[in-house]
Amino acid sequence: MMNRRSLLQGLSLSILSATMGVSPRHGEAEDAPEVGDQPVTSADRLRIAVIGPGSRGKELIRQFLRVPGVEVVAVADVYELRFLQVNELVGKAVPAYKDYRQMLERRDIDAVVVASPPLFHAQHVIDSIQSGRPVYGEKTMGFTEEDNYNIVNAVTQSGQIYQVGHQNRYAPWFQEAIRRIHEGEIGEPTHVYAYWFRRDNWRRNVPDPNLEHLINWRLYRESSGGLLEELGSHQIDVANWIFGEQPQTVLGSTSIVLYNDGRTVGDNVQAILGYSKGRRMIFSSLTDNAFMGDQLWVYGTNGSVQLTVEDATFYGSIHHTITGSDHTDAVRRGVKTGASYNYAADDEMPYRGPGKRIDARKAEDPTLTACRSFVHCVRTKTQPVADVRVGFGSAMACTTGKNAVFEGSMKNVPQWKPPAA
Amino acid sequence: MSYASSFHERPPTPPVPAFAPDRQEELPGALPLYSFSTPAMGTEFTLHLYSSSQDKARSIAGAAFEEVHRIENLLSHYRPGSELSRINREAFDHPVTTDPETFQFLDYAFAWSARSEGAFDITVGKLMKAWGFFGDTGRVPTPQELSSIRSQVGWRNVCLDPDRRTVRFLVPGIELDPGGIGKGYAVDRVVRVLQDEPVPASLISAGSSTLYAIGSPPGEVGWKVRVPVPGKPGHILSTVLLRDTSLSTANYTEKRFLDRGHLYGSIMSTETLLPIESVLQVTAVAPSATDSDALSNVLFALPTHARASLLDSLPAVSALVLTPEQETAQPEAVRWPAPIAKEDCECSTMMEED
Repeated sequence: MMNRRSLLQGLSLSILSATMGVSPRHGEAEDAPEVGDQPVTSADRLRIAVIGPGSRGKELIRQFLRVPGVEVVAVADVYELRFLQVNELVGKAVPAYKDYRQMLERRDIDAVVVASPPLFHAQHVIDSIQSGRPVYGEKTMGFTEEDNYNIVNAVTQSGQIYQVGHQNRYAPWFQEAIRRIHEGEIGEPTHVYAYWFRRDNWRRNVPDPNLEHLINWRLYRESSGGLLEELGSHQIDVANWIFGEQPQTVLGSTSIVLYNDGRTVGDNVQAILGYSKGRRMIFSSLTDNAFMGDQLWVYGTNGSVQLTVEDATFYGSIHHTITGSDHTDAVRRGVKTGASYNYAADDEMPYRGPGKRIDARKAEDPTLTACRSFVHCVRTKTQPVADVRVGFGSAMACTTGKNAVFEGSMKNVPQWKPPAA
Repeated sequence: MSYASSFHERPPTPPVPAFAPDRQEELPGALPLYSFSTPAMGTEFTLHLYSSSQDKARSIAGAAFEEVHRIENLLSHYRPGSELSRINREAFDHPVTTDPETFQFLDYAFAWSARSEGAFDITVGKLMKAWGFFGDTGRVPTPQELSSIRSQVGWRNVCLDPDRRTVRFLVPGIELDPGGIGKGYAVDRVVRVLQDEPVPASLISAGSSTLYAIGSPPGEVGWKVRVPVPGKPGHILSTVLLRDTSLSTANYTEKRFLDRGHLYGSIMSTETLLPIESVLQVTAVAPSATDSDALSNVLFALPTHARASLLDSLPAVSALVLTPEQETAQPEAVRWPAPIAKEDCECSTMMEED
C-alpha cells in the first residue's frame, strides 16, 4: 500500500538555481511537502493562459481548475469556436486571442499551458518561456529533431520551469511498479511490449472542408507523427523510465487497412525501439480493434508486470528454475511417494492465473496530479519530475521513429547532449 | 452555500443549456440510418443517426461517445480516478476544489434535493452499498447496518461554496452516487455534441432509461418510444413520439433482486432507508435529459400529493406514473402526449419476479 507521500512523489525535486541545468531526474522526493486542497490565500493565486484549447487543452483546463487558487485568464487559438467552448467550461468569458503572441503580452499571466498540435510546440513553448513564464507543455515535446534541441536549449538557458505532459510519471501505481522493477523484483527487465488498441477512425467531423487539415491535423504527415507520436509517446516514456535511458534505434512499419479516407498516416503502426544491452520496446497500435486497450507489459528475467491506466499487476516467473540449493535431504531422508494428479497446462500455454495487483483505489487522475505538481513547482520554484529531459527522451524517439514508420526503415535516434551554453 | 436553507424557491437550472434546434432543413429521407453503441456508466449507450456517409456517421458517433466516456470519467463512483470519487474520498477531510462543470452538476443535483425535500438525494452511496447495489447482485441489510449508515445519508450534510468552487461534507462517511441523474447529464452532453455537428435526426439512449430525440426519422412526426408495462414483457402501455426533447423511465424492476419471494428495487427512500414500493414505474418527458432523468426519480420518490403539486409547477414536463394500486385502473398521467393502453395496465406486484 502506498502512503500519501509516495502518492505525491515528484512534486518537487530540487530547488531551481540560477545555474540550473537539466538535473538528474527520476529520484524520490522524500522531502516533498504534502499538499492537497489546503486553503489558499491571494498569494497562492496562479493565473494561467492556454495556447490551443482543443480537446486536450480543455481537459487540462478542467484539471487545472481543480487545483486551489488556479485561474484561467486567457486563451489563444486560431479556431475561434474554441473560445465559446472555453467560456462554457470556465463559466465566464475568458479573454481570447487569435494570435498567441498578443496574449503573451498580457502582464497578468503567471504560467502558460501549451496544448497546440506538436507541429507548433517548439514555437509556442519557446516564445512562452522567453516571455518569462513557466510552461506546462503537452506531449510530444517537439515535432522535429531541431525542435527538441531548441526547446532543451531555451529551457536550460532561461532556467525556467518546463513540465511535459507525460502524466504516467505522476500515476502512483506506475511509480510503485517501476520502483519495484528497479529494485529487481522481476529480475532484469529486458522487454517492454506496449499496446494501444482502439476501435475508432480517429477522424473528427468537419463542418467546412476548408477546415479539414486544421481539425484533423492528426491524420496528415505534415502535421502529425501518427499513432506513434500521439499515443506511443506516452508508452515510450514509460519504457525510457524503466530502462533508464532513451532508445538508440527505431524500426517502424505502418499501413492503412480500414480507413482509406485520404489520410497520410497509417491506421495501424508497429515499432521496435532498441535500447542498450539488446533491450527492446515493441509498440503496436491498431484502430480497428480495441481488444488490448492501452497497456504495457514489462518482461524481466524473473517475472512480468502489466501496467494499465488503472492499475499494475506483478506476475512471478512462470517456469521454475533449478535453484541449485542443498538437495541432500533427498538422499538423507529419502523421497515421499503418493498420488500425482495435479494438472499443469502445457508449458507453452500462456499463463492465465492471478497476479499481485498494486492497490491504486485511492489514486486520483494522474493528469490532475501532474497539474497539481506543476502548480506546486511554480509556487515553490522547484523542478518537475517530467522535465525537459523526460520530454526529450520520448520526443526524439517519436521524431525519428515516425520517419522510420513512414519509410518502413530503421533509424538511429539522436541522443541527449549537454545543452548549449 | 449550505443547502440546509433558502433553496426552496429556487427552481433548478439545467447544467446543460436547453437544446435549441438549429438544423438546416436537410430532409433525412434520402439519408441512410446508422447505429452505434458503446458500454458506459454501467449500461450501453446507443446512438441512431441519419448521415450522408458511414465515415461521417462514424466520426460523429466517435465524438459523441468520447463525450460519454468523458462524463463517465468525471462522475463514475466506481472509478477511483474520477472527480466524483476524489470528492467522495476527500470532502470530509477538507473542502475539495473542483472544476466548474462538476460543481454545477452537483449544484443542480442538490437543487433537486431541495425542491423534493430530500426525496431525491445523491448522497445515497452508502445506502446503495448496504443494499448490495454497488457492483453486486443485491442483499437485504440488517436493521443495525441501516442504523449505522443513517447519518451518512442526507443532502443537507453537503456544503457547496460557489465562491471557492469547493465541496465539503459536514459529516464523515458521505458518498455521492449520481445514479439518479448522471446518465441524463451524459445524454445532454451528447446532445450538445450532436448540436455542434449538426445532425438532422438522431436518437441517443442511455441503456433505454434516458433518451433524447433530435428531429425525427423521415416521414415521421417523431422517434417512437414504447413505454412498457412493468413485469409484462411485450406489453406496451403507451407509444410516445419524441422530437427535440427527452424521456426517462425509472422502474421498480429495472435493477432489483429477489429475496425470500420479495422483490427489492434500487430506488431508495432516504427517510426509511428502504426501497420505495409505492410506485412501479415513472416515465417523464422534459426538455432536458438531466431533468427527465432526475424527475423520473423525484416523481418515483414523492408521495402522491407532492407528485401532483410538483408536476403542476412544471408545465413543460409530462409524466406517466404507475403504482401497484393501479393494476386495474388508469395510471396517473399528467399532460401525457400519447394514448394509454388501458387493457394492458395490469401491473406486476412486488411479490412477483418477472
